[in-house]
Amino acid sequence: MIKVNDIAKSYGDVTALGGISFEVREGEIFGFLGPNGAGKTTTVSIISGLLLADSGSVRIADMDIRKDSRKIRKIQGVVPQEIALYEELSGRENLHFWGSLYGLSSKDVRDAAERVLELVGLTERANDPVRTYSGGMKRRINLCVGLIHRPRVLLLDEPTLGIDPQARLNILDIIKQEGSGGTTVIYTTHYLEEAENLCDRIAIIDHGRILADGTLQELTDLVGEDDIVMITGDFTDQQVRPLLNDVKVEHLEDASLRVLVSDSSAIGQLLGRFFSAGIHVGDVSIKEPSLESVFIKLTGRELRD
Amino acid sequence: MRQVILIVMKDLRRRLRSPVAVVSMMFIPIVITLVIGLVFGRSGQVELPRIRVLLVDKDNGVFSHFIRQGMQQERLSEMIDLVEVEEDEGRSMMEKGEASALIEIPESFTADLLDEKPVQLSLTKNPSETFLPIIVEEVVETAALMLDSGVRIFADPIGRVQSMFEGESWPSGNDVTGLLDNSRDRFVLVGGYLTDSLVVLKTEDATAQIEEEGSTQSFDIFAFVLPGSLLIGLLFISQIALRDIVREREYGTLPRLLTAPLEVGHVIAGKTLSAFVITAVSCILLVIIARFGFGITLGNPLALVVHLVATIFMCTGVLTLLYGFIRSDRAADAALPVVILTMCLLGGSMVPYEQMGAALQEAGKFSPVFWAVDGLKRIFIEGAGLRDISLHLGILYGLAVLTVVPGTLLLRRRVKRGG
Repeated sequence: MIKVNDIAKSYGDVTALGGISFEVREGEIFGFLGPNGAGKTTTVSIISGLLLADSGSVRIADMDIRKDSRKIRKIQGVVPQEIALYEELSGRENLHFWGSLYGLSSKDVRDAAERVLELVGLTERANDPVRTYSGGMKRRINLCVGLIHRPRVLLLDEPTLGIDPQARLNILDIIKQEGSGGTTVIYTTHYLEEAENLCDRIAIIDHGRILADGTLQELTDLVGEDDIVMITGDFTDQQVRPLLNDVKVEHLEDASLRVLVSDSSAIGQLLGRFFSAGIHVGDVSIKEPSLESVFIKLTGRELRD
Repeated sequence: MRQVILIVMKDLRRRLRSPVAVVSMMFIPIVITLVIGLVFGRSGQVELPRIRVLLVDKDNGVFSHFIRQGMQQERLSEMIDLVEVEEDEGRSMMEKGEASALIEIPESFTADLLDEKPVQLSLTKNPSETFLPIIVEEVVETAALMLDSGVRIFADPIGRVQSMFEGESWPSGNDVTGLLDNSRDRFVLVGGYLTDSLVVLKTEDATAQIEEEGSTQSFDIFAFVLPGSLLIGLLFISQIALRDIVREREYGTLPRLLTAPLEVGHVIAGKTLSAFVITAVSCILLVIIARFGFGITLGNPLALVVHLVATIFMCTGVLTLLYGFIRSDRAADAALPVVILTMCLLGGSMVPYEQMGAALQEAGKFSPVFWAVDGLKRIFIEGAGLRDISLHLGILYGLAVLTVVPGTLLLRRRVKRGG
């Protein structure tokens, strides 16, 4: 359904996307996982037609984003990171406006507005101005705008940013329903658990490049069965290196060490060597194989860093 | 076109829900016109109260009469209400604040002056008043100066007359002839200053003349002030309406609009059209207030409508062009009021164009505001028709086209580039 081929985008000297490619199948929920500034929003903006890529191509439903932009925009629903609503208008008026822009007739737009309002549980507050809504309610109406015209492709850019867990679950449920209804979804997030629970396939993106993509299983297979052990403390590279002969070292620098271990006894042995050598250990953390450990393996840092 | 109308309707609905900014701008012309009208009166003339002046005349001589007569001459008597009182009564009235000033002329004032001795006039001012006592002080100072000059010039002949009458016999013919010759020489010397000028400046009250001629038309300060203040209001209202382009960009609704199936041109056209409609509706309301609130005679209806449409079109065009260069809400805050107020200042919105210097008047013609204000004044005050303001209309419509087209293109380019 969506074919992205080697798209690149720079803002002056800053490279936002360094040539990324991926495909999303029809009815699939495809997650983009990465920290802030990784290039997620730029990717969504290019696919939505808001930005033009410096190079590369995007095809959606066999149409080229440059040549058939308007046709593509008609079958797409976009939910931006900001709450892009008219605060003076009510939730219902916002939906009527956006639905009409997508070409729905007066009757269709009324019916569609009621459908999505019911979906997010905001029918009772639909006539109140959006400015009186809570953050979670605004996020839900923001989502409704993207859904009102029953798009074939739904682009969601961190739609749960800054809301409470209950509202987040509600939004994730709706997106799951849309996906199971045949809508192709691209979902960007920096929450690991959202990507794990929601997405059929995930691409890990950092510094404008896709580091890996696949199903959750395929990605966790990248780190194998080993646990990742991260040790920080008051030591130097030179001090620690002689102690690591039989250990799989992922990363080593002054005051920071990351190794892969197959069982917990190996961790004890390693720490024993540190203590014997009189090396001060500040913090030890162990990550079992998961999307988080994949992210750490690929980027060398935790997602919240 | 459907998309453009949808955007216009949406913006008008939003403005109706949140009208404070536009309504507060509508108060600009109302307040300015009202305040100036209240200060200067409907006819535009300042009505000063008569100044009550108390006079204690202990001399009762020729020169004290000169002062009294001077203050009761025709023009000054219109301004000054001179009341002659005894010293105690005068002081008591001043303490009660019943007059603006008290003038005391001392005993033997005339005699001492004739002897060329220093004399002193006393003036007591009412401290609770600021402006009126100063007028009295100026009048008394002028009278003192005239007396001083007169006595110095004519002291010799006056002294000789005095000595003639102090003797026991009548003066001889030679003495009288000598005195007359002396006096004539002095009159010739100062005559040009003391007697009436040959060239007389005649000033007339235009309002009075028109009224005398039985005409019903009179100068209306509201009709004179409102066009200028209306333009300030309309430019600021256009500015608020078009600011939505910058604000929607910052709120994220503009990028979202651009992901919908419509063209950038639809968005810009919708925004410009809604600014035009919002300015037009505000203008209609202000004209209704002008007619029924201020009682302004609106003049030729066709000329008024065509001129107002041109004015609103010009306001929208100029602001569209300015917003083509504005990147953010903060930049709009910083730059646009300065540009608008400068245009208004040059165009005669703040200071009447007629009161500006020649150079400023020439510069003012480069401000679109001048053509809008001047045209409206002609319609309101002179009852001008379409033909009378054809130059104004041509310039206003021309400016509107010349600004709205490049403004729209600039905005289009900016929006297309993602803001």
